Amino acid sequence: MRGKLLRTMLINLIVWTLALAWALPYIGVVAVSAMPYKEVVTEGWLRIPNVDSLTLRNYIEALTNPLYDLATGYRNSLIVASISTLIPLIAAALAAYAFSNLDFRLKPLLFGLVLVIMMVPQQLTVVPLFFLYRNLGLYDTMQGIILLHSAWGIAWITFFLRNYFKFIPRSLIEAARVDGASDFRIFSKIVLPLSVPGLIAAALLQFTWVWNDLFYALVFLISRENQVITQKVVMLKGEYHIDWGLLTAGSVISMSMPVILYAVFNKYFMKGVAAWGVKR
Amino acid sequence: MKGASLKLWRVTKRFRNVVAVDNLNLEVDRGEFIVLLGPSGCGKTTTLRIIAGLETPDEGRVYIDDVDVTDLEPGERDVAMVFQDYALYPHITVFENIAFPLVVRARKLSLTKRDIEEKVLNVAKMLKIDDLLDRKPTQLSGGQQQRAALARALVKEPKIWLMDEPLSNLDALIRLQVRAEIKKLQKDLGITTVYVTHDQTEALSLADRVAVMNRGRILQIGSPREIYDDPKHIFVATFVGVPPMNLLECRVSDVLECPGFRRKLPEESKEYFKRLNKIYIGIRPEHIEIVSKEEGDLEGVVYVIEPLGPEYIINVLVDDTLIKIKTVKEYTLHSGDKVYLKINWAKAIAFDTATGLSLGKISIA
Amino acid sequence: MRLNKQIRLIFFLLFPFTLLTIFVVYPIVATVYYSLYDKNTGSLNLNNYIDVISSINPIYMLVSRSFTPTPPWGALIHNLAWVLIHVPLTILLGLILAFILKYYVKGSALIRTIIFLGMVVPPVVGGLIIRFMFDGVVGIIPAIFSFMGIEALSKTWTNYPSTALYALILGSLWIWLGFSITVFSAALENIPRSHIDAARVFGASMRHIFLKVIVPQLRPAIVIVTVMTALWDMKIFDVVYASTGGGPGGSTSVLALVMYSYFARALDYYKSAAVAVILALIVAPFIVIVMRWLKD
Repeated sequence: MRGKLLRTMLINLIVWTLALAWALPYIGVVAVSAMPYKEVVTEGWLRIPNVDSLTLRNYIEALTNPLYDLATGYRNSLIVASISTLIPLIAAALAAYAFSNLDFRLKPLLFGLVLVIMMVPQQLTVVPLFFLYRNLGLYDTMQGIILLHSAWGIAWITFFLRNYFKFIPRSLIEAARVDGASDFRIFSKIVLPLSVPGLIAAALLQFTWVWNDLFYALVFLISRENQVITQKVVMLKGEYHIDWGLLTAGSVISMSMPVILYAVFNKYFMKGVAAWGVKR
Repeated sequence: MKGASLKLWRVTKRFRNVVAVDNLNLEVDRGEFIVLLGPSGCGKTTTLRIIAGLETPDEGRVYIDDVDVTDLEPGERDVAMVFQDYALYPHITVFENIAFPLVVRARKLSLTKRDIEEKVLNVAKMLKIDDLLDRKPTQLSGGQQQRAALARALVKEPKIWLMDEPLSNLDALIRLQVRAEIKKLQKDLGITTVYVTHDQTEALSLADRVAVMNRGRILQIGSPREIYDDPKHIFVATFVGVPPMNLLECRVSDVLECPGFRRKLPEESKEYFKRLNKIYIGIRPEHIEIVSKEEGDLEGVVYVIEPLGPEYIINVLVDDTLIKIKTVKEYTLHSGDKVYLKINWAKAIAFDTATGLSLGKISIA
Repeated sequence: MRLNKQIRLIFFLLFPFTLLTIFVVYPIVATVYYSLYDKNTGSLNLNNYIDVISSINPIYMLVSRSFTPTPPWGALIHNLAWVLIHVPLTILLGLILAFILKYYVKGSALIRTIIFLGMVVPPVVGGLIIRFMFDGVVGIIPAIFSFMGIEALSKTWTNYPSTALYALILGSLWIWLGFSITVFSAALENIPRSHIDAARVFGASMRHIFLKVIVPQLRPAIVIVTVMTALWDMKIFDVVYASTGGGPGGSTSVLALVMYSYFARALDYYKSAAVAVILALIVAPFIVIVMRWLKD
């Protein structure tokens, strides 16, 4: 059995090395963001840092310099992502209740529509909305992009929550019906309270998705005060010369929110993705 | 509380191609305890759900106290339902669970919070769970949960009580306890009750009348005694009774040829039976005795003996037919022994092999 | 009673579906319309599609007219290359790692967390990190090849047409592996333990168990990972935009980027719509597969 132990140890070694390789980029980004660039060039970043020369200069620069203005971007992303999570969550919960608990002739058709919308590429909706927004004065506004993100959110969250609602035993709903409860009461007093984990998972995933979006932001947000952080980070990359310290600091700032959420709500993220692999 | 009368008239329900309930007619008196008994898929649960309003019949009407409720929502019919999995809401306390039907109707019935509290406590005391009201359902045992479900069904003083196999999820011992309590409660309160089960022991012990169902139809309604002693259909005869009634396949010509014996047909019935080539003769296991050679009607070989504590099931092979005998007498028999059986002909029933209908008692001595 | 039902439905469905109709359904339909709109003649025809498909400008072209051993090959070809390289790698690596993590490795939760981080981070940042990792000065990958003495790969990969696309594809493996590992791990948990126990009692080796017992039962998961990954690779935008912007010389151009370029650089909205429709049509079969999967 010595061979087996050796084999297991070897496998562990390989896998942990792989994990280290996977973590290296993050380590690199954080390291470069806090070290003076000269040092990075001469001594590299994969080393024990020189504690004296560690600096937050890049972060301050990225956040406050009006050219980069990541602080505004952070704020905008927060606003857009939060509201674009709240609206679809409520709307999708309502729709999901109808799909899971009510019977109506158009149900298969409408649900099919939801599924299709979920999978369609974002690019397919941009051009007409661009014209529409310009006419409605929604172009380059946060309201505009919030509405857009909310609509997409409604599609996939409806699908997600409807599957979640289906887990509630049918007899609970029927008992409430026999007792005379209205659908709204059943929805608010029974279905929603029993679906809190699902609601949290959906909220987290939607928030992260909106926060991480770049394409819609590029198309619909133009002015400096309205741009979100993903756009601003990209602008940190110079055309001919890259200030790595600045760029990495900006990257850390912009990924801080999703990463923190992930660190705290780890389980919900994984379960949300894992659902794709398990057929019920 | 007093129960309502219930009438189902020509109720039919189809799911895709399957007819779940087939032109069903049923009349239940006030305060009566009726059991719908049958195997899975016979339509008993669907019938119950139609009474509750959870399903709408494709044809036919439902009347509660002579009022046509067929188009009414479940909540408007004043019925209460107990589910197999109790259907207690896990996120609220037992008290809130029981109070739920009242809270929903509070405004319509002008109930104050005090009223609701009182009613819940009353019902909880009746079911002996008044000390569990602050707990959540998951903290209760199966039997307690079922009691909570019963309490919730009673708190709104319904006209009709509907129960869908409420005891199936309980351990055997608890099941007997709760069963007895349900029976007592129902008698004390007098609520009309429709109870669905596939367990014939449950049916016989609880019911005022039993409706045996198969394939969406009621094959026979009657008191437990009637169902057991006088089955009108071969399905009823074999479904009710443990072990099931023995069926002997007999050929009819000038004489009756059965496995193990022949008999002359009685004159009155000769012509009638002659028209049928074959009949089944059914005789329950407890109506067959093991006797001496002289007293015996037929002869067989012991196949296997199943001791069940207070009684024995003796399987005897007669020609190619396996006959089961139920007896409390202790015989020193072994597999392979030759035995002689005597049938209590007064209890034997003949069945038409084509329709399954009972042809009545067959008096061949 | 029936009216009641209608009111109920409206209450639950009106708001969600109104939003969907205005911001998704209408635009999708209108995009098709716009893609057919010939801005020169004001009529509807396929000219936009013809122009878009026949373009030979490396930034805009979908398929290159001539064969070259290195990119640029045209956005469509780049996407396809992406799929062909990325999908098998992510499946293989995902399967093997999920298996090993479950049965051989201690502390697999931490490893999974690290790998999954790629799915959480904004794809923009993912692109920037890829640019970072393959940079000739600060990047690790060129440093490794420099150490090994391979000159050609010790420069900034994304500055050269011959290596830029591959840098991105490998980088996307780093980003997306979390998806396949998570899905496969979840699917592994669903295999009844008795199947594996029975095989072990029969004396099967771990490799045998992996190949003959586990992989066949993971087929649905493999299908879904394949399709979702391919979909992602075909739609990819942020990563490319942030790291190379489609360059150098269009050697990392992708369909979504071409669509954006027509929109924001050429300001030709109608051709942009045409590219969007082309993209949608190409991914349509994948969408159908996923939909059938989801319909249950």
